[in-house]
Amino acid sequence: MIRSDPKVRAFHARLLATPCCAALVDHDRLAAALASPVGIVFVLRADGLELRPLVTSVHAAGKLVAVHLDLIDGVRPDRAGVRWLGHAGADAVISSHGQLMPAIRHEGMVAIHRLLLVRRGLLDAALAATSRSGADIVEVLPGVILPEVRALMPSLDVPLLAGGFIRNEAQARAALGAGAVGVTTSAENLWAVDLR
Amino acid sequence: MRLLTPILVASNGHEVIVPPPGLESGVLLRDLDLMALIAAAGTASTTLAVDLDSVEGLNADAAAARFLAVELGVDVVITRRPAVASRVAALGRTALLHVFAFDSTGLARSLEGHPREPGIGTVLSPGPVLDHLPPAEVERLPRPLVAYGFVETAEQAWSLLRCVDSVVVRPGCALDMARDGTPGWYALDKGGRGD
Repeated sequence: MIRSDPKVRAFHARLLATPCCAALVDHDRLAAALASPVGIVFVLRADGLELRPLVTSVHAAGKLVAVHLDLIDGVRPDRAGVRWLGHAGADAVISSHGQLMPAIRHEGMVAIHRLLLVRRGLLDAALAATSRSGADIVEVLPGVILPEVRALMPSLDVPLLAGGFIRNEAQARAALGAGAVGVTTSAENLWAVDLR
Repeated sequence: MRLLTPILVASNGHEVIVPPPGLESGVLLRDLDLMALIAAAGTASTTLAVDLDSVEGLNADAAAARFLAVELGVDVVITRRPAVASRVAALGRTALLHVFAFDSTGLARSLEGHPREPGIGTVLSPGPVLDHLPPAEVERLPRPLVAYGFVETAEQAWSLLRCVDSVVVRPGCALDMARDGTPGWYALDKGGRGD
């Protein structure tokens, strides 16, 4: 179920319109991401203490920005770190720390919880953690194997994203076919592909 | 010391593992506590591997490495800690550094810590990712290479054995692999191993 918050609705609508999201792993690719048709830029690597210019340029290009709290430099993945990202203008925050999802929502951002697929024996605990966290969206990693493991997962009541090792159109379409509403990828060749 | 087998049947030490007939297999003990580990290790008659980080009551340190390798005679130790892997290798056992392949960046970072020393291979989770990586990328992973996690079907397991040295499977999957029979390519590529 999608939360009725306008920001969450807008984020979800953007995913439906442009299911391919740019995963930014270095600043050099920002220009390519901004010039591409993607609707959402996921910032995985950046100086978290100097985010505002980046966020401003993404917004100026008419795109939304999601920031990975656990991977950016300089910002600790805690409540104060979440507040900082809200202050920097992020539309969404991604984290593997489920306990931070309420704080992300409280700051008016979309909360994206990473679900890491390690092995089947750990899946139930990971699913329970995502269920408890109250995330708006769950990002499954590595997304490239979502089609192979989807049958092992119950249906979740929030939208799914797939990220990780999605490098070609067939893999992206397979992830969408397995139930993801969008894919995040650093493969620039996919940013221009219309996956709807 | 027994060698790493192409099939490792995952066990929590509480079930009776029926080896897949006609296939070389060992046992991977994981998700159990220290007392259960000691009991299960005492009955092992094939290659015995242990996922150190999943054993309750056992710290992932040099003392644990010695205990597994020397006291319990464990052949293969899986650990996330490079220093522990080095210690296991120094004791003459096969160490496998557990690396996680959630995305390209994370995998690269995970491999940065790999000791890349003789006797230290790689366990990659989740296993099916390997089927999606280009051969050149797989070749860069230190050997021996083991696929661990979400290898659910015999078909997946055989497919992965084209590019890895071993797969971790559940008991039912191992029996399915035996029932399906060794693929022709495998017998040729691996010099008949597994026949």
